[in-house]
Amino acid sequence: MISNIQLIFDKENEGNQQNFVPKMDIDQTELDEILQASLLRKDLPIPNIPEINIVRHFIRLSNKNYGVDTGIYPLGSCTMKYNPKVNETIVKLPGFTRIHPLQEENQGCLGLLYHISKQLGEITGMDGFTLQPAAGAHGELVGLLIIKKYFESKGIKKQKIIVPDSAHGTNPASAKMAGFSIIELISNEFGEIPLDQLEFAMQDGDVAGIMLTNPNTLGVFDRQIKEITRIVHENGGLCYYDGANLNPMLGICRPRDMGFDIVHLNLHKTFSTPHGGGGPGSGPIGVVKELIPFLPIPCLISTENGIVCREIDNKSIGRIKAFWGNFGVIVRAYAYILALGSEGLKKVGQIAVLNANYLRILLQQKYILPYNRICQHEFVLSDQGIPNDITTEDIAKRILDYGIYAPTIYFPLIVPGALMIEPTETESKQSLDYFIEVMNKIYEETKQNPELLKNAPQNMPVKRLDAVLAARKPILHD
Amino acid sequence: MDFIPHNDKTIAEMLDVIGVKSLQELFQDIPKDLIIEKLNLPSGLSEPDLLKQFEKITQKNKVYSSSFLGGGCYNHYIPSLVDFVTSRSEFYTSYTPYQAEASQGYLQAIYEYQTIISRLTQMDVANASMYDGSTALAEAAIMSTIITRKDTIILFKGIHPEYEEVVKTYCWGQNINIVYASEDNLIEKLNGNVAALLFQSPNFFGDIEDISKFAKNIREIAPNCLIIQAMTDPTCLGILNPPGLTDIDIFVAEGQSFGLGLSFGGPGLGIFTAKQKYLRKMPGRLIGKTTEINGEKTGFILTLQAREQHIRREKASSNICTNQALCALATLTYLLALGRTGLKEVATQNIQKAHYVKKELSKIPGYEILNKKPTYNEFLVKCPNIDSLINLCKQRDLQPPLKISSYYPEMKDIALVCVTEMNSKNSIDTFLEIARIVSNNKTEGE
Amino acid sequence: MDYEFPDGLKYATTHEWIRIENSIATVGITDYAQHQFGDIVFVELPEVGMVFEKGSNAAEIESVKAVGDLIMPLSGEIIGVNQNLAGTPELVNSSPFVDGWMIKLAFSHASEIDELLSVDKYKQIIQNEEH
Repeated sequence: MISNIQLIFDKENEGNQQNFVPKMDIDQTELDEILQASLLRKDLPIPNIPEINIVRHFIRLSNKNYGVDTGIYPLGSCTMKYNPKVNETIVKLPGFTRIHPLQEENQGCLGLLYHISKQLGEITGMDGFTLQPAAGAHGELVGLLIIKKYFESKGIKKQKIIVPDSAHGTNPASAKMAGFSIIELISNEFGEIPLDQLEFAMQDGDVAGIMLTNPNTLGVFDRQIKEITRIVHENGGLCYYDGANLNPMLGICRPRDMGFDIVHLNLHKTFSTPHGGGGPGSGPIGVVKELIPFLPIPCLISTENGIVCREIDNKSIGRIKAFWGNFGVIVRAYAYILALGSEGLKKVGQIAVLNANYLRILLQQKYILPYNRICQHEFVLSDQGIPNDITTEDIAKRILDYGIYAPTIYFPLIVPGALMIEPTETESKQSLDYFIEVMNKIYEETKQNPELLKNAPQNMPVKRLDAVLAARKPILHD
Repeated sequence: MDFIPHNDKTIAEMLDVIGVKSLQELFQDIPKDLIIEKLNLPSGLSEPDLLKQFEKITQKNKVYSSSFLGGGCYNHYIPSLVDFVTSRSEFYTSYTPYQAEASQGYLQAIYEYQTIISRLTQMDVANASMYDGSTALAEAAIMSTIITRKDTIILFKGIHPEYEEVVKTYCWGQNINIVYASEDNLIEKLNGNVAALLFQSPNFFGDIEDISKFAKNIREIAPNCLIIQAMTDPTCLGILNPPGLTDIDIFVAEGQSFGLGLSFGGPGLGIFTAKQKYLRKMPGRLIGKTTEINGEKTGFILTLQAREQHIRREKASSNICTNQALCALATLTYLLALGRTGLKEVATQNIQKAHYVKKELSKIPGYEILNKKPTYNEFLVKCPNIDSLINLCKQRDLQPPLKISSYYPEMKDIALVCVTEMNSKNSIDTFLEIARIVSNNKTEGE
Repeated sequence: MDYEFPDGLKYATTHEWIRIENSIATVGITDYAQHQFGDIVFVELPEVGMVFEKGSNAAEIESVKAVGDLIMPLSGEIIGVNQNLAGTPELVNSSPFVDGWMIKLAFSHASEIDELLSVDKYKQIIQNEEH
C-alpha cells in the first residue's frame, strides 16, 4: 500500500487559479459603496491548487480507504449491503438535482415522498410516516418527542423510558435529548427481555414507554415480543421499534404486527442507500393512526390538486429539519423498493438470515458464541477462551491485514470482547467462505504466532494509531 | 430485480450446512401468526423499466434555465470535480471510519475538511459536520445551555423561519425557554439567565448584521451569554469578515452552497465551529491527527469520542452519531477547486450582481427596496403586483423569487430576490424587463 | 491483580480515596479505579468555591473508551483543584494517590467522615467487583 500522503494544504500544491466561475458580465460598483470596509475580510488562507493535483490527491486518498465495493464489510448492526449503481444514476437526474425545495412545480418530488411513505407503511404495517429525519438517531429523537407530546396532549406527565442493556447507544442518548430519564433492563441468557422485570418496571407509573430492537443486537428474535408490547400497553406505555435491525424482517414480519406504535427506519441500512463514510443517511419515522397528528411538519396528503402539505395540526411536535428531509437519500431508497418489489424484498430478509446463520455455524466451530441460538441478521462472538491474552481488538486488526473489513467490536456491551458479525444478503457464498477461511487462519495464529496479532495490522497504510495521544493532545486541523 | 448473488443450488447447500430444511425454518423463533404471506407491493422492475419510471417522475418537476429563488437553498456552480471525487466508491460505500487503519483516506479527507472550514471561518475548531444548518443551530443552542447551565436562549429577528422552528422543537424537548428579540428590544430581553443569543447574518431578509455593536452590552448584562451566529449561504465568506475575528462563540452554517446542489433541499451539510474553550462540549464527530503507537508515521483517527452517545449513552449532550461525511467531502473538494481566487470571485459576483438588480429595480416605479442594511446576494423588494411578476417569470423560464408571505403572511407583495454568479446578464435583463412590464401594467390599470 | 493501598487514607464505595488533614480533605480516585478506566485523557474539574453535597458529581473523568465521575465523598466547598491535570491527565494513571489528586475540599459535616470506608472494607469491595 501507499505510504503517508501529504496534506492538500502543503505548499507544493500552490498553483494557478481555476475556471469555475462564469465570466462577470455586468457593470460593477465600487465595493466600498456597497459595504463598509470593516465588514470585509483581509485574508483568505485557502490555497489555489491546480485541478490535476486535487484529482490525484483524492485518488490517492481513495486508495487508502475500504468500502463495500472493495470487499465484504461484516459490520454488525450496520447492514453494509451492496449499493446499486442505478440508484446513483437516478439521483443525479437534473429533474432532482436542480429542483429547489421552495419551488412550486414540484409534484415529481412530492409524489415520490408521498409514495415511498405508503410503501414503508406497507413494509412496516404503520399508518403514517414522516421522511424528515436525517439519520437514525435523528429519527429516534423525533419518535421520542412524539411520545412526549402524546402524553402532554393527554395531560399526563411521564418522564421515563425503558431501554434494555443490549440497546444501541443512541437509544438512551435520544431519550435524554427528548427530556426523558432511562430505566435500564437487564436482558436474560438469550438476550431477551425478562417479562417479570418488565412488569415490575412498568408499575412505576412514570414510564412513557419502551425502546426495543427486534431482532436485538445479539441477532436474536425476542420470542415473547407480543407479550412485551402487551405488558407495556396495558400499563399505559407506548412501544418504540428501533429499526436498525429491520433488514432480516423484510417481507417476513412487521413491527406493527409485533405491537409497536412507532418505528424508525435507516434507509442507509435496510434500503441500500450508501453510508457515505457516515452520512448522509435518512431515518423516517412510522406511527400508528392515533399518533399521526403528532408527526413533525411538513406532512403530505393526496388531494384532487395533487400532493400537498396538510394543515398544521397543533398536536404536531413541530419542525425538526429545514425543507424536506434528506431527499437525495430518499430517492435512492424509493428506487430500491421499486426495483425489488414484493418478492425481492422478501428474498432480502431470507438471504440476510441464511448468510448470517451460515457464518454462525461455521465460525462457532472455533470461536465462542455466548448466545447460541438460530440468529436473524447477525450474531456475536466473544474473545473469551482465545489464548495468549489476544483481545477482540487484536483479532479485528488482523482481519484488516487479510484485506477485508473487521466486524463491529466491543458491542453489544453485554458480551465481553464482542465481535458482532452481519454479512447481509448481498455477499456471495465465495465471499463468506473467504471470511471464514480468514477467521480460521487467525484462530490458528492466536495459538502459534500471537505476536502477529498483537502487532497487527502490518499491511495497512499505518500501524495501530495512538488514540490516547489523540485525545490528550487534540490536533483537529492544520 | 434483486442484488442477491446466490442461485437455488447455493441456497440449498447453505441450508444443508446450517442443518435446516428450508428458508422458512430460519424464522422458527418468530411466532407463526406474525409471519406474513407477502407484502402488498408491485413486482420488481428491471433497470431500464426503473429508469423509465424515474424519467416520468422527474418530468413532473420543472427545471428552470435561471433562478432568482434562494431562501436557504442556493443555486451555485458545482465543478465537475466534486461529483468525480464523491463518486469514488471507496468513499461513498464505506462506513464511519471505526477501523482507522483501513480508513486513512477518508479520515484524512475529513481532517482536511475541518482544516479548510476553520481557515474559512477563522474559528478555532470545526467538527466533522452535522445534518444541516437548521439542526446545527439547534444543537448549538443546546450546547450553550450545557456550557452556561442557564435555561433561556434569545432568538434574534431574521433567523430563517424554518431554522427558528427547528430550534423551538429541540428546545421544547429539553425545557429550554425561548425569547424573541429584535434590534429595538434586545437589551431589555438580556439578563443573567440567558445562555445564548442566536442570530443569522446575512439574515433571512438579506441584511448583513453587525452584532459587534451589541457585544459590549451583552458581556455586561449577561456575562455568560454565548453569541451564536448562523449563516445559510457561506459563499459570502469569500469576501466578508469571518466570524472567528468577531465576538462569535459558536458559528454554524448550511454548507449546501459548497458543491451540494439544490436536490430539493437535502442532503445538506451542517457546518459547526466553536471557540477552543468549548471543544469538549461540542456535539458531533471529530477527527484528530496522531501517530502510530509503535512507529513514526502520522495518521488520523476519530477522537474525543468520550463526548459521544456510544460511550456516554444517556449522559451524552447530543445523540448524533453520524456526520454528513460525503457532503463534507463534497464541500472540501468544492472549496479546493475554487481556491482562494475562485471563492473571492464567487462572493464578489454574488454581491455585485445582486446589487445591480437591486439598483435597477429601485429605479422602476412601484418597486421599493426594504433593506436598510447592506446585503449580500438576497434582498427584499416591495412589488406592485407580486403574482403577476411570478407568473411572467415562469413564462420566461425564470425561477421566480420567493413570495415572502408564504412564511410571513403579513408581509404582502414582498419578494425575496436572490441573485448568484449563475445569473447571466441575459437572465437579469429578462427579469428587469418583466419587472418593468408589471410596473407599467399596474400604472395603466390605475 | 495487585493494587496499591497507601497508609492513612479513607475510601468511598465509588472508588475515591480521601486524605483528611485538619479540616481539609484531599480526594482522588484509587489505583483500582484508574486501572478500570485505562489511559485517562481528560479530567474536568470543578471551580474553586463551588459547594457540593456528599454524593454529587464533582468532576468528570474521561478515558478513550469510558467516562465516569468523581463523586463527593463528603459535603463541602472546593478550595483547591489539581491544575496539573489539565495538561497532564496521565498523572492520574501514573500516580493516583500523590500527583494525581483531584480536589481539596473544606468539609462541612465532620460526622460524614465516620461513614467512609477503612482500607480493609474497601479491599473487600474490590474483591466482590472482580468476581
